[in-house]
Amino acid sequence: MALGTEIIFIVDLLAIYAIYLIINSSLNLEFGYTGIPNFGKVLAVGVGAFVAASIPGRILANMAGIEGDYIGDNISIITQVNVWLVDNTGIGFAVFFLTLGIAAGVGAGLGLLTAYPAIRLRGDYLAITLLALGEGVRIVGNNFTPLAGGTLGVQVPDPLSWLPGELRFPVATIGLIIIAAIVLLYTERTVRSPLGRTLRAIRDNEVAAESIGKDVTRIRIKTIMIAAAIAAIGGALYAFYVGGTIAIAYDRTSWTFWPFMMILIGGLANNKGVLVGTLLFVTLRKFIIFFKDSLQPYVPFDVVWLDFLLLGVILIAVLLYRPQGIFTEKPTKTISKEGFTDKQKG
Amino acid sequence: MISLAYDPIFTDAIIYSSLLVLLSMGLTLTYLTTKVPNFAHASFATIGVYLALIASRIWESSPYVAIPIAFVISGAVALALYTFILKPLIRKGASKAIQMIATLAFDLILIALLNITADYITKNYQIISREFTLRSYDGLFMDMPMILFVAPILIIIIASTLLIILKKTKFGIAMRATIENPDLSGVVGINVRLVYGVSWFLGGGLAGIAGALMSMWFQGDPNLGALMIPSIFAASIVGGFTSIYGAIVGGILIGMSEILGTRFLAGEFGSWLIAYRPLIPLLFIVVTLLVAPRGLTGINWYRVRRLFGTRN
Repeated sequence: MALGTEIIFIVDLLAIYAIYLIINSSLNLEFGYTGIPNFGKVLAVGVGAFVAASIPGRILANMAGIEGDYIGDNISIITQVNVWLVDNTGIGFAVFFLTLGIAAGVGAGLGLLTAYPAIRLRGDYLAITLLALGEGVRIVGNNFTPLAGGTLGVQVPDPLSWLPGELRFPVATIGLIIIAAIVLLYTERTVRSPLGRTLRAIRDNEVAAESIGKDVTRIRIKTIMIAAAIAAIGGALYAFYVGGTIAIAYDRTSWTFWPFMMILIGGLANNKGVLVGTLLFVTLRKFIIFFKDSLQPYVPFDVVWLDFLLLGVILIAVLLYRPQGIFTEKPTKTISKEGFTDKQKG
Repeated sequence: MISLAYDPIFTDAIIYSSLLVLLSMGLTLTYLTTKVPNFAHASFATIGVYLALIASRIWESSPYVAIPIAFVISGAVALALYTFILKPLIRKGASKAIQMIATLAFDLILIALLNITADYITKNYQIISREFTLRSYDGLFMDMPMILFVAPILIIIIASTLLIILKKTKFGIAMRATIENPDLSGVVGINVRLVYGVSWFLGGGLAGIAGALMSMWFQGDPNLGALMIPSIFAASIVGGFTSIYGAIVGGILIGMSEILGTRFLAGEFGSWLIAYRPLIPLLFIVVTLLVAPRGLTGINWYRVRRLFGTRN
């Protein structure tokens, strides 16, 4: 069974959509609901990808008894690991979920570390600090080779290597969609809970929230940690999906700027906005990349810059003329009055 | 003294610090008025870099010709960002974060346009327009590159002119009043919008000059701005982000530590450290925010002196 071009196109689009959904819902939790301008989103995503690049391959190579320098002989080691995984599917999945867990933990820890110096300061200082530290992730990843192979990158073991070639990507995409759905469900439940209302209160009036006894700093740190954990899972999943990590791919534009753009187009502080904004953006970009080659002969420069130009202009237009995005934030759905009185009677 | 400057590392340090001073002065100037950190600031400098390339390779004259042109064009671009994007956003009551995102989007547009320019130059004139250097177009003075003297002297002239304007002229006083209290200045008849516009033009213009100077010593590339942004913000934050003096001190401190500090540490611990040089400004940001969040100018030096018992 060979897959048609259209199917491959849609499968890849859905996979990228699911990964960005995970990252964007974490950003929405931070920026949309709590008002933390995390311009260093790339940090958490990159950390997740580096965890996926450095840990599961070493664990599995050790278990399979494959000798060699993990970074130097990376391609041959990962190829052997993938062959070994065909007969050890269960271990593959166990290591996969373990990696996601480690990524979430490391992401949360680094989220705490990077936010700590500026969390008490004005929003713009926090934004500058996070943006600058976000640049740090690429510098370290590019130069510290044991992490992700430096400028050459490394391959990531494939827990789905037992599947026949043409089924691997569709199955991976289904898995990604399921994980994205779980993340969305979790954020939706979080923002509907009393904590969600506290987050909005902090965003709308920090002083008022503090005056009714909310520990604003602690709640903001907690939010950053949770969001960083989710984004790190997203980064690790991306590394598993594409089967490799290279530090240079974790740049500010792709993993900080695009997520901001998606949630701003969709509308802040609601998950419907995340779903639609992300879909619109991912589809648009996919089409731009798809038709790039046919446009190239007509312009005297690389078409990729036309893409940047267009997206920059779109975002500024959205900010100026439709700042609330496609879906406006609505008051939280609470228990109906009848339901409330029923509960009191019962 | 002169033999010291012959070590290229000192030339690097002096020129780099001068550029950071100019860039963080400009950034502070725009931040003082609109209170929004402009993430597109470094790309204003990249415009200057490309103007210097055009001046020296296409017009075949000196790259120094590009300095006044860069001042005007980068200034105009900064003014456009303020007038057409930030001013309407502020009027509509957009939050700080939204304004910052708008500057990021503007930066993306600038980077795209710079890359398009670079591609166009290469295609039409067969000139290397990425990772290029214009060192050979710079003159010599006392057997040393001219830029080594021009950059610091130009910065001293610009900084003192700026300070005289701010302290002595009527416009400068109006500007300081607007920074202090925009509403009240509006009430007494100061044209607040004009003051903001002028400071954005000046801020962008200074970045443009820095860019034109930069091309004569360092490598030029469309992505130069993105690489320099942490250093510029570190210099401004160390300086306190609210004073021109602070920006000068911050620029020198970050520039010197980035180049001489890396050299020193590499000598102590090994040359693998050189690659981590971009982490130095990040370290400065973190330490400043933890120890003295209002920067060097925000420290109460009187109290510090008393703490160490050297009161005089």
